[in-house]
Amino acid sequence: MASGLLLEAGLAIAVLAVAGTLAYRLGQSVIPAYIVVGLVVGPNAPTVGGVSFAVLQRHEFVDLLAELGVVLLLFFIGVEFSIDQLLANRDRLAVIGGIDLVVNAGVGVAIGLAFGFTPVEVAFVTGIVYISSSAVVTKSLIDLGWVADPEAEVVLGTLVVEDLAIAVYLAVLSALVLGGGGGAALSAVAIALGFIAVLVVLARVGTPVVQRILSVGSDELFVLTTLGAVALVGGLAVQLGVSEAVAAFFVGTAVSATDAVHRVETLLSPARDLFAAIFFLAIGFQTDLGSLSGTALTLLAVAVALTGVSKLVSGYWSGLRYGLSERRARRVGIALVARGEFSLVLAALALEVGTGALADVIPAFAVGYVLAMSVLGTVLMKAAPRLEKYLEADSTAPEGPADGA
Amino acid sequence: MTVYETDVPGVGRKFELEVGGGARLVVLMHHDGRRELFHRADPDADSQRIADLDGETARQLGAILTGAYFQPVELDRTQVPLGEAILEWVELDEDSSVVGQTLSGCGVRNQTGVSVIAIQRGDETVPNPDPDETLAVGDILVVLGTRAEQQALREFVDR
Repeated sequence: MASGLLLEAGLAIAVLAVAGTLAYRLGQSVIPAYIVVGLVVGPNAPTVGGVSFAVLQRHEFVDLLAELGVVLLLFFIGVEFSIDQLLANRDRLAVIGGIDLVVNAGVGVAIGLAFGFTPVEVAFVTGIVYISSSAVVTKSLIDLGWVADPEAEVVLGTLVVEDLAIAVYLAVLSALVLGGGGGAALSAVAIALGFIAVLVVLARVGTPVVQRILSVGSDELFVLTTLGAVALVGGLAVQLGVSEAVAAFFVGTAVSATDAVHRVETLLSPARDLFAAIFFLAIGFQTDLGSLSGTALTLLAVAVALTGVSKLVSGYWSGLRYGLSERRARRVGIALVARGEFSLVLAALALEVGTGALADVIPAFAVGYVLAMSVLGTVLMKAAPRLEKYLEADSTAPEGPADGA
Repeated sequence: MTVYETDVPGVGRKFELEVGGGARLVVLMHHDGRRELFHRADPDADSQRIADLDGETARQLGAILTGAYFQPVELDRTQVPLGEAILEWVELDEDSSVVGQTLSGCGVRNQTGVSVIAIQRGDETVPNPDPDETLAVGDILVVLGTRAEQQALREFVDR
């Protein structure tokens, strides 16, 4: 039996490697590639000419590694999150983060209500369409060199605010859906907020302790200590009905105040990348594209159109408020279009707890949505210089003689 | 000269230097030690990536730029054979006769033969100091010269 599992694990990682290589060659983000490969070789794989492509099954080890992936994704967001930086730039960040939240979450709520969803379902749809993908956006900014230009400050500032919003949102939402309804939900939210308050206080006052724990000389012990702490706190959180991802985020913020940040980034990034890849694969495994029909398909089309535009608008607006030129402000919007890992974390949560639309419609919608938006965002960013030439030619032609420019 | 320093969340730190005519050099220090160097011709232009350096190469480039790697000494004038030249750090105390004088005014190079290639002043480093740079108490001179010249320098500043 054990040897069979090893073969499956080897196959899973090998297909991820092939998919990642292809995406890299095409200049695309790896996230949609990992999902697609999960769709085409997983348990829900299509059958072509009587031959099923379902070479991989959803074993427990896939779920376990995927869960570690989610925990590490949120842990890293916490590690790179700086409360001091947030406070130092609070006026500017409040403006651009506020615009981003009101416009995009607003559109999300409107879409959810228009489809007649329950409040919890509306909350899921809102979260899925609101949060841009830090992973996809940051990588594109670096690859295209935008990171050196002023628009990157607005883009990354917006992502910082979104990261904070994720933590609060996920804490409340998961407590609501995991805790059941009515009074039970209320006490579940109270427990969640209490657990998080304890973690926040520990993260703030415990810096010297964390610093001492993390100052082990051996890289090996450092990795074991950090992974152990993240998984342990995450696991405890689950026992209390709190989202393990949120707990991991706050463990990350405790690390962010120490000088171990660079060491975490160097030593644990490979672990995060491996487990996160398996998480994206597992999302592909769990999704049946066959269920992406009817309501889910309409929802997908509406959401792609409306929330694509809403990010362009909110980004452009934020950029102008930040004092950028029109062209750079447009780039802020373009850069923020990509959605990714966080929307998938919500899809996984919906699958875990869902009944009704949460189980059928929303996960399939989220996966289709992330596939569309991650590719669309990357493509738009690459096409930006050509789009700008087109826009400039369009606007200067009639006005050229008038302003003499 | 103004240097703009900003945090780039999730990436590292960004430094921008004004290099004249509205152009800027942008240095991006990644958390993983990589350094990227960009040039932005004017405020509206897109930054062009000039180089993507690992930590070691970046430090060498930095040493070259500050003049600490290749000695920025006009060898024909100082007559210092490179093979015998050594670097020394000499601190000026308050009763040194050169304090308050300029580099050229005190005649340190003519009198001793050494080249002052940098001045460490508190936290600030003055690389390639101008001849009219005034010396102050506590300055640490980074000087290049032969052993004999270094000895002459120590006697010169302690006079």
